[in-house]
Amino acid sequence: MSRIARRRLMQAAGLSAAGGLTGILASGQAPAYAQSTTVHWLKWNDFVPAADELLRKKLIPEAEKQLGIKITLETINANDLQARTTAGIQSKSGPDLIMAFNSNAQLYADSLADVSELCEAIGPAQGGYYQIAQGNSNDGKRWISVPYCIIGAEVAYRKSWFKQAGWDQFPKTWDEYRAAGKKLKAAGHPLGQTLGHTFGDAPTFAYPMMWSFGGKEVEADGKTVAVNSKETIESVKFMTAFWKDAFDEGGLAWDDTSNNRAMLSGTISATLNGASIYIETLRKPDTYRTEDDKPMKEDILHGRLPAGPGGQYAFHSAQSTMVMGYSKNQKAAIDFLRWFHTEGNYRQWFEIQKGFSCGPAAMWEKDKMWDIDPVMEPYRDAAKYGRVPGFAGRANQKAAEALTKYIIVDMYAKAVQGMPAEDSVKWAEGELKKIYAA
Amino acid sequence: MVEGSRWRRWVSFYIPLTAFMVVLLFPFYWMIITSVRPDKELYRPWNAKNYNPFWTWNPTLEHIRMLLEETMFMTWLWNTMLIALASTIISLICGVFAGYALSRLRFRFAGMLGTGIFITYLVPQTLLFIPLADIIRDFHIGDTPWSLILTYPTFLIPFSTWLMMGYFKAIPKELEECARIDGATRWQAMIWIILPVAIPGILSAGIFAFTLSWNEFIYALVFLSSSEQKTVPVGIVSELVRGDVFFWGSLMAGALLGSIPVAVVYSFFVEHYVAGVTGSVKG
Repeated sequence: MSRIARRRLMQAAGLSAAGGLTGILASGQAPAYAQSTTVHWLKWNDFVPAADELLRKKLIPEAEKQLGIKITLETINANDLQARTTAGIQSKSGPDLIMAFNSNAQLYADSLADVSELCEAIGPAQGGYYQIAQGNSNDGKRWISVPYCIIGAEVAYRKSWFKQAGWDQFPKTWDEYRAAGKKLKAAGHPLGQTLGHTFGDAPTFAYPMMWSFGGKEVEADGKTVAVNSKETIESVKFMTAFWKDAFDEGGLAWDDTSNNRAMLSGTISATLNGASIYIETLRKPDTYRTEDDKPMKEDILHGRLPAGPGGQYAFHSAQSTMVMGYSKNQKAAIDFLRWFHTEGNYRQWFEIQKGFSCGPAAMWEKDKMWDIDPVMEPYRDAAKYGRVPGFAGRANQKAAEALTKYIIVDMYAKAVQGMPAEDSVKWAEGELKKIYAA
Repeated sequence: MVEGSRWRRWVSFYIPLTAFMVVLLFPFYWMIITSVRPDKELYRPWNAKNYNPFWTWNPTLEHIRMLLEETMFMTWLWNTMLIALASTIISLICGVFAGYALSRLRFRFAGMLGTGIFITYLVPQTLLFIPLADIIRDFHIGDTPWSLILTYPTFLIPFSTWLMMGYFKAIPKELEECARIDGATRWQAMIWIILPVAIPGILSAGIFAFTLSWNEFIYALVFLSSSEQKTVPVGIVSELVRGDVFFWGSLMAGALLGSIPVAVVYSFFVEHYVAGVTGSVKG
């Protein structure tokens, strides 16, 4: 067997490495595999796994074929999207498309590509974007992200327990809901709600509670902090009493998953959520059972957050897609979004969601998917009734900052932990003033 | 053996030890039981008949199957091992030499430098990842193991240096001086006399560094994007949390299987590790 001398091996390795490198440098081009345009899309790990499967196995390959680009889909936990977005913007490298929750796109408005042309084509063609979608994705001057979908927030409740408490239908007002909750808690079935720092269920409850009593974050000018009002204080006082009367008081420490688990395990009788609780019971009817061993799916209905003296409101989690300003593939990224939001392509994704995600525009209310399951009916046009943080002004960077700092949520959380309502509202006013004055 | 009357032994030793063991081992027990409990039991109403959260009569391997077959867990495990080992070795080499220099060599500002190094360890990673992202981009190492192998030492080296500084200070100078008198250079004295004595300290710094790298989350989340490049902590959270639903069984199975390598490392070096932490050097 011939032996290779160490020196000869080193020479060969050096020559081949140097030759390869010299070749690449001389050609002035990246190797062929790196030449085609690749769009890196970062989004949350969808609650509906079939939807991500559809993207990976069908829609993305089709888009790649038709657009002549390569698309890399990366999915992560929703809570981690902001860290990735910040790092991408700071280092001017990273995914070309990133999903934003709620009005987070406003936080990064200066670092995002203008997608006005695309949004102005999609919205009107699909019956017009909802106010929520527009509020989150438009900064008043231009469209900064492309509305993706809206995750309706409705109260999932146990039909049989509410009936036992004397409610054949879901309560229409906060007072009725409190009366029902008091009876249910006494019977060992409290209501469940988080007031923790969690992006979904906490703000989607706290903001509508404030609005429904007539409270508001700022005046219509979007600058003057107006939270410290008689109406807001009334809402905080109501919530404090409501919490003690009706809620599972461990909810202060809950995250977005805790109420799902509490509801699915029969610990609570109602909770504000997306449709994920009900859809999970549909997926695994043998797993989720009532205390008398019947499928829980047959005992869950949905209702809107009740009305207060100031009206009935909702804050639905909205998702949009940001085209990053640092991206060198903006055109390809926008082309892909245009392709994805084409009616026929988006419908495939929308229908597989089975109502967990509503379309961002009015046309999707009429989709035949909504006729399949009457339990999902309240989600059909839920997005119509939504407001965005920053009311009575429009959603902007300041409102988005206040949202990500959980100031309105903390205002309620502090009060239910014992701070007088006036003081907690005053605290929130001080925090909001710091943001809006900056 | 604890001496004294029986009740004294129970009060001062057995009962506290039992309480300590229960607190320490309960999370592992919970991980094991959750990873083999069927979903039907995991989500059973607490007021249902025969509800027992601490045991199952119907164990299942479904969660472990899902973890191993439907995710890239084994790839993540391999990535984590590779990254943790490489960054630990780099950090130990730097930490040992820096610790030796700061504790043994007399130069201006040595004390301040030591404190400064420790302070850099206290800078939170949640702040550091932003400027580090710039560096990762400039070096074109994003989404490769190098992005972590080279950034983990930013917090591991200060930690190892500080730990080794303390350990070297506990080693009597006379050992080294004897070697020097016998004709050894400083380098030889360090390599042949001090480092063998410092093995427990090096091992404990290594174990700590390995554990910190193994568990690190934020850099791994930000600097890696492909599923096949991810580490265990990021991989299981990315794949097994979908929307607002946690796949508890598989998450616990992932946490359990992911902690085994660390437990193995600890068990191999436990005696040295204890000696290293307590700084016991026989002079």
